[in-house]
Amino acid sequence: MVESNRGHLLPIYVLADESGSMMNHIDDLNDGLRSLHQALLGEPMAAAKVRLSVLGFSDDVIERVHLVDLRSANEFPLLRTRGMTSYAAAFEDLITRIPVDIAGLKAEGYQVHRPAVFFLTDGVPNMGEDWYDARRRLTDRTLTLGAPNIIACGISDADAEIISQVATQPEFGFVANEGVDVGPAIAKFCTALTKSVIASGRSLTSASPQLVVDKPENFTLAIDVI
Amino acid sequence: MNDARTQPEGGEPAEPVQEPALSVEPEPVTDDLARLWRPLKVGEPLPLFEPKPPSGLSYRPDTVCDGWSTKELHLRLASVRGYQHRADGSPREDDVAAAWDRRTGTVVFAVADGVSAAEQPHIGSQLACRSAVETMLAQVREGDGFVADWDHLLKTVRWQLVEQTRRILRHSEAGAEQTARLLATTLVAGTATPAEGEVRIQLVSIGDSGAWQIKRENFFQVVGGKMAGADGLVSCAVDPLPFISGVIRPTSFPLEQGTVLLVGTDGFGDPLGDGAGEVATLFRARLRQPVPPLGLAHLLDFSRETFDDDRTLVVLWLRTETPGGRP
Repeated sequence: MVESNRGHLLPIYVLADESGSMMNHIDDLNDGLRSLHQALLGEPMAAAKVRLSVLGFSDDVIERVHLVDLRSANEFPLLRTRGMTSYAAAFEDLITRIPVDIAGLKAEGYQVHRPAVFFLTDGVPNMGEDWYDARRRLTDRTLTLGAPNIIACGISDADAEIISQVATQPEFGFVANEGVDVGPAIAKFCTALTKSVIASGRSLTSASPQLVVDKPENFTLAIDVI
Repeated sequence: MNDARTQPEGGEPAEPVQEPALSVEPEPVTDDLARLWRPLKVGEPLPLFEPKPPSGLSYRPDTVCDGWSTKELHLRLASVRGYQHRADGSPREDDVAAAWDRRTGTVVFAVADGVSAAEQPHIGSQLACRSAVETMLAQVREGDGFVADWDHLLKTVRWQLVEQTRRILRHSEAGAEQTARLLATTLVAGTATPAEGEVRIQLVSIGDSGAWQIKRENFFQVVGGKMAGADGLVSCAVDPLPFISGVIRPTSFPLEQGTVLLVGTDGFGDPLGDGAGEVATLFRARLRQPVPPLGLAHLLDFSRETFDDDRTLVVLWLRTETPGGRP
């Protein structure tokens, strides 16, 4: 019989835009994720409490990494640019993915905290696409088991108002400051992601476990840009 | 190795412990103390590392433990700094205190867990424990062994926290919000009162620290602890002091023969979980009888990955023919 209390885990999903417009910057993002991996190897206690998935989205979603324990992970598979920018496809994927993942972790005997999604895009969603309903169902705690917190970061052509609508709290939506180059912005996003993962992992078994979100340098709260 | 307040009221115990200790013969000297005191492994252990000194201006020991016995009860307590705090150089945010009223034989105790998001959680937990124990002791003396007004007790602790906040911030108008940001803490406070042929336990709990009984080889939760949300995810909601929602009524029950009472913070409660896992098995086996205080601290310092919070525990056993353990 599997023990019901092997540990506490925070599932984290990096949901990254792989659309064609990311072509010149996807290497920066892959480099950033490698840095995150290296940083977590130096924080084994925080890393033990996190399971990381990396998902690339464009017209659909491709799972690059599935709920990996970063202490034992090898090289990350690379994100690759392709297709358009369908937010709806991304959110629909999470609606089916997250409940299955949570059930799997619980079946392994873990106590699971509310998942966190770090959403990164460089553009606006496909013209005419209704992604709002998928986003609403994904974050409705009465509809989706493990409805996640979404931290949304927009770079380049991303729209501050849309980023603000993707994030589940006003303080979880960020856009890169005007004039900031995309490459450095992605690097700052990955640095903030790493800090957030480590701080959330450290916090997980404290008296006040919380999702810690570190604002990327040279980003502004999307709500302040609208 | 003790900053907890555990001095019996009025000096020497009225009826000193006469029995031999459980560990009758001292162990032969070993050359490998490090090996002897290695943390107990439960499942996959945490990585081994050398702890960093805690930050802060005042001395804050990594570990405290204590123990003594009254005519009716054996008490042991321990509070250990969590592995995460040892790794990042933070002080132990949990605290514990216990005392005894000589006339009635009542034992009073408190455990508290400073909320990490607060700026000085270790001061909050220490102040909450000490003021709770002092206030309970005062009421016990006046109330024939019982705390008559738990509401007053909690309000006194809250007042102490607010006053301390005002002193630290040098802001005479500081209120609950500032206190929460500086000193927020959970608290379980309780009494064990010998009366009419039994020992009656009374407990109040604010936040997610809790109390359990080991009865017939099973763990039973008495108060507090973390509740899973409706979707089965771990709930992060903590409602600590200085906030008190409504009138808190004590949980009251007799401590039955063969039953062990444990009062602790979530650093113990989380790995204990539903009481059916390996941590529960370890504590059930090791706490059937009173253990030496150092042994309780060592037990509480077990190593299991993802469980790296501060841990604090007060354990009470009814005194029977079985001799009580002393170090």
